[in-house]
Amino acid sequence: MFKTVYNWIDERLDITPLWRDVADHEVPEHVNPAHHFSAFVYCFGGLTFFITVIQILSGMFLTMYYVPDIINAYASVDFLQHQVAFGQIVRGMHHFGASLVIVMMFLHTLRVFFTGSYKAPREMNWVVGMLIFFIMLGLGFTGYLLPWDNKAYYATKVGVEIAASVPFIGDYIADFLYGGDIVGAQTLTRFFAIHVFFLPGALIAMLAAHFLMIRRQGISGPL
Amino acid sequence: MAHGHNSNEKVVYVGDTRVKKGKGFQTPPDYTAFPGKSEAFIPNFLLKEWMVGCVVLVGFLTWCIAEPPPLGYPADPTNAAFIPMPDWYFLFLYQFLKYPYVSQDYVLLGTMGVPAIMFGALLLAPFLDTGKERRFYRRPIASSLMLVTLAGCVYLTVVSWDHYQHMLEKNGQVPEHHEREERVREAIEEGKPRPNFMKKTAAVIEPDDPAATIAQEAACLGCHAADLGGASGPALIGVGNRLSKEELVDTITHGRNNGAMPAFEGQLSTEEIDQLATWLSKQTQE
Amino acid sequence: MSNHEQHETSHRPVQRKEMSRRQFLSYTLGGTTAFMMGGAVLPMVRFAVDPLLKKKDSGTLVKVVEESKITSEPQEFKFKIHQVDGWYESDPELVAWISKGEDGKIFALSPVCKHLGCTIFWNTKGHNEYDCPCHDARYSIDGKNLAVANSPLDEYEVVVQDGFVYLGPIIPNTRV
Repeated sequence: MFKTVYNWIDERLDITPLWRDVADHEVPEHVNPAHHFSAFVYCFGGLTFFITVIQILSGMFLTMYYVPDIINAYASVDFLQHQVAFGQIVRGMHHFGASLVIVMMFLHTLRVFFTGSYKAPREMNWVVGMLIFFIMLGLGFTGYLLPWDNKAYYATKVGVEIAASVPFIGDYIADFLYGGDIVGAQTLTRFFAIHVFFLPGALIAMLAAHFLMIRRQGISGPL
Repeated sequence: MAHGHNSNEKVVYVGDTRVKKGKGFQTPPDYTAFPGKSEAFIPNFLLKEWMVGCVVLVGFLTWCIAEPPPLGYPADPTNAAFIPMPDWYFLFLYQFLKYPYVSQDYVLLGTMGVPAIMFGALLLAPFLDTGKERRFYRRPIASSLMLVTLAGCVYLTVVSWDHYQHMLEKNGQVPEHHEREERVREAIEEGKPRPNFMKKTAAVIEPDDPAATIAQEAACLGCHAADLGGASGPALIGVGNRLSKEELVDTITHGRNNGAMPAFEGQLSTEEIDQLATWLSKQTQE
Repeated sequence: MSNHEQHETSHRPVQRKEMSRRQFLSYTLGGTTAFMMGGAVLPMVRFAVDPLLKKKDSGTLVKVVEESKITSEPQEFKFKIHQVDGWYESDPELVAWISKGEDGKIFALSPVCKHLGCTIFWNTKGHNEYDCPCHDARYSIDGKNLAVANSPLDEYEVVVQDGFVYLGPIIPNTRV
């Protein structure tokens, strides 16, 4: 059954080469932890991606209950964490996963740095990787505000004040992030939109570019 | 690591091995051309990667089950006692901005200058470090810069966290999310419903009472706010639930917390204090 | 075993019953992937379907009106229920058309038209029927569907106690 459907599609679109290229490419010995245990350092990129997938999924599920509104945000987070079955785990996955992504990404960056894998011809991939890093930090910063507790409120205030110290355009940046003059209802909806739509969109585009470049250039050779 | 390294191979392993220099882009040679045992991505290699993934996942889930994610009290812009802390991965920057030459007149250097240089250098690393050598011990400048920066970030983070713990201890505070968790646990153990932390728009009871004028004139409202919602001092709305009239008299007369709440003995007459305490003891909340 | 059989098998290609290494690895990989996705997604799915598995509270009875005020002519009564909707607690107002049937029993009809959910009124067109303003659905005094709608009006559970009418949750029509 599955085979018939697959063949039917394949006859028309010739999809086999697409996944064959990914599936069958040879992975060299020097990144394989089964051959050299020290090669586990090459796993961090994949783990970052895995945790990112968990982040995207748990985030999607959290928005089933969460409302970005200063009256209801806190109440809805409180509700989803304590009144909904597994809410504590799902919110925990998103909250702690955010830290874990940063850790994994950090280790991945260090691996790439210390193995010199960012060197020619992979400069572009390094730059894209750093952009992913910045997007992740942005996701962490915007996500922090969403539960609308004191920690969220004050950390956001401090963060935006830092942005406001930029010469000339600082005030505009602050106004843009605040959506007004204070950390309030309009800030929360803005941060929600940035956290849920803008940054993840950029993240997915950057990840696609990252993976395409890896596949195109291959993994860096042994030292 | 280069097993079977041999210059007679098809591919010469200098710097990057898969794209030869100066001939434009070439399809990377198949890894079967590499020495040692290569294997197919799917299923052989991915399975190994997934094994690591499983270990991470199980550990991660265990952590999520064991530790509830923190949630403090609802955001309150008038809360002056709260010590704001960013998430741990921003702590180094947070601490950095406290130092001289990156704060006050030089704050721009701290918020923009140094981070721009650091993050800019990181972003453009491949263009700054253009040598062919990949091994970190053969690139002393790049490696040592990275190591020093790392050590700096770790140091700043630790100092920042340490300072936070110190502040908590000094103020006799417990982090809000711990306090909240504790209050919920206690309430549930006592068989009460879960406390609702949403601040009710509670009103002052009997705002026309003459004691309200005393409160204003004695500058109580300076710390406890005109709506008694609390500012640098605690909220007095609902104080009638916490303290009896006698305790209120005592607090107003002798102060509290080593003078954080000043003693009003002498400033207010005994009758005034009594009036005030009577009025405050009426400030109860359900 | 006869010679004949041996001869046959030697010409056939060797039939291996065990799977190849690649197949084994593929199955293991599939299993591991399923485990990882399951481990990550199961808590989230349980989280999402929680409203389905929550026990529905049976609904409390609300005091609406004195029994003596109920006539055989349907009257509109408004009453408030306490509704807990997740983190949002409110006291929405509901409407019931209460009347005394020919059998002397008090019953309360929900004003939600069974056709497409508009709100019906008693006797707006002078036929002693419930009329729906949207698509001209009509119901008898007992809530029986006469036109357009394909099922009778729902009822509220009614309890009469100490001279008062109490209304409970919505139930299917019992009078038609």
